[in-house]
Formats: sequence, C-alpha cells, structure tokens
Amino acid sequence: MSEERIDIKKERDDGDNTRRDFLKNMGIAAVAGAAALSAVPADAEAKVELAEHLQGHFELMTDGQKKECIERLEKRYTEEFGKKTTVSNAPPVKGVLFGYALSISKCIGCRRCVKACVQENNQSRHDPEIEWIRVLKMEKGNLAFSADKLDKGYPETSALGNHGVQVGGNAYNAVGVSGETEHYYEPDKVPEKDAFYFPVQCQQCEKPACVKACPTQATYRDPNGIVVIDYNWCIGCRMCLLACPYWARRFNWAQPNLPAEDMNPKTHYLGNRPRMNGVMEKCTFCLQRVRDGRYPACVEACPVGARKFGNLLDPESEVRKILATKQVLRFKEEYNTYPKFFYYID
Amino acid sequence: MNFRNNFTKIGFFTLSCLLIGGSIIYQTAYSQDAEQAKKESAAPVTKCFESMEGYTSVSRIENAVPQYGYPNVKCSQTTSGVLWYGDPYDGTKPMGDMPKLKDDTRGDYDSEEAVVKPRESKLNYFECTGCHDGDTVPVPKDKKARAIDAHDDIVENPLEMMHGRGAIWCLDCHSATNRNKLVDHQGNEISMDQPQKLCGSCHGEVYADWRMGIHGKRTGSWVKGGKKRWWVCTECHNPHTVEVNRFDPLKPEQAPELPRGMKKTEHNTEEH
Repeated sequence: MSEERIDIKKERDDGDNTRRDFLKNMGIAAVAGAAALSAVPADAEAKVELAEHLQGHFELMTDGQKKECIERLEKRYTEEFGKKTTVSNAPPVKGVLFGYALSISKCIGCRRCVKACVQENNQSRHDPEIEWIRVLKMEKGNLAFSADKLDKGYPETSALGNHGVQVGGNAYNAVGVSGETEHYYEPDKVPEKDAFYFPVQCQQCEKPACVKACPTQATYRDPNGIVVIDYNWCIGCRMCLLACPYWARRFNWAQPNLPAEDMNPKTHYLGNRPRMNGVMEKCTFCLQRVRDGRYPACVEACPVGARKFGNLLDPESEVRKILATKQVLRFKEEYNTYPKFFYYID
Repeated sequence: MNFRNNFTKIGFFTLSCLLIGGSIIYQTAYSQDAEQAKKESAAPVTKCFESMEGYTSVSRIENAVPQYGYPNVKCSQTTSGVLWYGDPYDGTKPMGDMPKLKDDTRGDYDSEEAVVKPRESKLNYFECTGCHDGDTVPVPKDKKARAIDAHDDIVENPLEMMHGRGAIWCLDCHSATNRNKLVDHQGNEISMDQPQKLCGSCHGEVYADWRMGIHGKRTGSWVKGGKKRWWVCTECHNPHTVEVNRFDPLKPEQAPELPRGMKKTEHNTEEH
C-alpha cells in the first residue's frame, strides 16, 4: 500500500514537473512573442494591443483600470481615425428598463433603419459587410386559395396512387404555404403590393440564450436590460451566435473596414467603439445614445414612425402606451426568452 | 530525458516564432487593405429629404455639433434620404400648448421641451397671399367644388380630391379669406406649422395616438419630459393624395450582401 502511494506521489511530481516545464516554455515563447511584437515599426500600437489582450473583464475591473483602459482606447482610436474620439464609460440609467416597439402595419421596408444603424454604430462597411438589422419581406396573409398559387405544382400522383394528399409544389412554390420570406428584395419602390415587412434585430431578451451560451461571460445583461458585449473579453467562439434564435448576432470574420470620415467619434466601451477582427457584435439599442438620453438611431431614422422606444417602467412612456392599447406580439415567444422588443399592429 | 526536453523547447520556440511572424505579416498586409478602404468613400450627400421625397428637404451642414464634429444630418448615398441626425433639434421651434389627454396622465409632453420644425418655409407657394390677396385671385363666394386652372402639381384633379372620398374640397381645410392659414370647422385659423389641430378634428383616434406618442414620429430624447421634436401630420402624409397612399412609396436602401459565393436568383420563376 505505502509503496503504491509513494509511486502515485512520484508520478504526480513528475506530472507537475512536466507542467512546470511546459509553463516555462510558454513563458519563453511569450517573451519571444513580445520581442517579436515590439520589433514591429508601430511599437506603441503593439504595446496597446498587448495591453488590450491582457486586460480583465470590464465589469470586474477597478475604476483605475477602467480609466486606464478607456484612455488607452481613446488615444488609439484618435490616432487611428485621425479625429478626436471619445470612449464613454457612462453607467446604466437608474430605474429604467428599456423596451422597444415596432409597428408591422406601418413598416414600409425602406431599410433606412439598417443604414442608420451602420452610421451610428461603426460597423464594418464591406468585407465583411455587417448590418445589425435585417428587414424581412413577408407575403401578405394568403392561405393560397388564389388560383395561380394552387395551380403551381399540384397535384403529383405518387407511385402508390393518389391519396388526396396535397403534394407537389416545389421548394419555392409550396402548395398551401404562404408567408414566403425574403430579405434581399430590391424593388424600385417600397412598400410593394401584397407585402409587409418585419425588421429583426437583437430582441434584448430578459432570459437571453446568448448569455447562457457564452463560456467567458463576455456577453451579459446590463441593469437596464440591454445585452452587451465586452469586445475585449470575447474569444470569438460564436456560441452565442448559435444560441440566438433571432439571428441577431454578427461576427467580424476579418478586420472591419470602417472609413475614417464616416466613423462616429462618440462611442461607448460596451457600445459602438470600433471592433476588431474575431469578435461578436450586435444591436445594443444604441447604448452610447440611450444612456445619454437620446433615442436609438433606428428610431430617429424611420420615416414612417414605426419604431418606438422608451422606459418599460414608466406607464406614460410610448412603449407602455403601446402595450396598453395595441395588439402586441413577441417574436418566437415559445422559446421563453422574454424579449423586450415588441411587434404591434395598429 | 534532457535531450527530449531541450528538443521540445527548441521546437516550441521555432513554432511560436513562425506563428507570431506569420500573424504579423498577415496583419500588416490586411492593414494596408484597410487603409485603402478608409480612403475610398464617395463625397457626402448634401441635399437630403427627411421623411417624404420632394416634400421635406434639409441640407447637410458640416460641424453642426462641434463637440463631436457631427454634421446636422447624414444622408444615404443611394436615396438621399436622411439616415442619421447629428442634431435632432436642428431648425426647430417650440410647439406651443397642447390639450390634455382625457385620462389622468398628461402623456409624455412638456410644453417647454416639445419642438416642431416649421413647415411654412418648406412650402412651394408660401406666402400664398402673394397671389391670393383678393384682387389678383378673387375670394371664392362658397366652398363648392369646381375645376381650377392652377396648382395641378399639388392636386391633379380638384374635382376628385384624393382625400375624404369626395366629401371634402380645398376650402374645407384652407382658409378662403386668409390663404396663408388652414381653417377648421368652426372657422378658426390654424397655422400650416400646426396641421394636427386641423387633422385631429376628423381623425380623432389617430390624433389621440399621436398625442400619446404612439402614432407618428418623435426624435430627440426618450427621457420623460425630455426635449423632443414632434413630427406633425404633413411631414409624413401628403393630405392631397392620402387616399391613394397613406405614405408615398419611396426607393429602398441597398439590400444586404448575399452570403459569399451565392448569386441572386429569381425565386418565383418557372424554372424551379
């Protein structure tokens, strides 16, 4: 017995030794890496990048660390984009739960919200093109009793005989199916006849599936109910993208292309500051604006006033008035994610 | 054992050097691309429309918000529609008093902080009394509908006014005696900047919604009692054609990029 124990202890020691060796090697590699990084002409930039890599989770940083981090970012963005850039660290608003309402009977599908969002939130303009809002075009309610629909591909007699089952159609013209959805539509004018539009963006769920899926807690729900991302803590594993039932999250597959003259210099650490390659991003209800008291950019851009935003805890806010007086639905309610994004009909 | 350890050390070192070196080369190559992309961008659009095309115009002014170097508006390259407001209160004035809501709340309205953008300066024919002074164009005797020779750009056929399904005519809304003003059923003159006072007299339900802030558009601050620009009826609706379109159709913004390697197809063609 005792011999065995000693053996085990020995083995453990060995194991420790090898691990220590490994760590030592890692240390050497890191030093080598740092040396290699500092050999790059943009010496300061590399140091900044290293500091960014090594920083902690934003919520766990001390005030001093946060200040240092913000200053570093401001300096870096100001240099990079050639204009005075501010990175805010404004705290959540007290006594507020943000809610959003969108009228699907008013939306005309003009996509101005999409482009406004890109302007405000410093998304990559191309390669990859990132847009946080996607406008779905839906066919107007039609149970396919119209002759031209029913004639298409119906019926197909099977080899086993015709059993009166509605078969036939094809992938694009299924018999008896309505509500075909498209989001690459490009007509001359919108709204099109017999179509309605359904914009989808982050629903700011009360029980966000993405937050549960994140292995590093880089994405979390802030006290105002907005799901935010610490871009520097994100490891780019894209688990949240898989978990989100609303297709709300976008991934920077390459270094974002953000033209300096179009860059919005008023940013927030958790909001629209320029992102880097390999991190996730999504709608934050324009965190940098709403914590400052302003409407999100999409609300201000909508030419038909289909988008409404406000405090769910205030019975006189626009959103609460809509909840009180209109027919409201939540998207994919069956997932129990409890979105704070409401679609309504009026 | 020693040899093996050293060997792994050297191997590890070479590998990490290669890896880091490679990523540096890749990054420098990519940042050159990014530099180029930052330079290529067309000149900003300066003549824009706010809600409806050819109806509510606004011009871009650089550095309207010096604090952030914002222009007053940013407009779309494809449609010239206003996409983004650097200054949401640009060119606005106080809205004035509003009747209370008929419940125990006031709705989110603060007379100090509610502003509108004056409409009169945006109208093609203002001042109307330039011609409608009683002499050049005489004051009509009654409100009976008749064919008119002028203003066919606003109303194509006055006998078939596309508002009210034949029940109303020009002088039901425009004052016969003071053409600069609108007029309600009681004969009160209403400013062109305040059309909600007139529209609301028939469209009461919509007006109530608008008053609560759930119909129409507001920009500015979401905070209760915060400064808001209220958008009035005629900034979005054309009262002369509203029967055809409650909102005039407009060109949509560019569609998103297709997934890489995918081509645009017509889904509803017969080939499928």
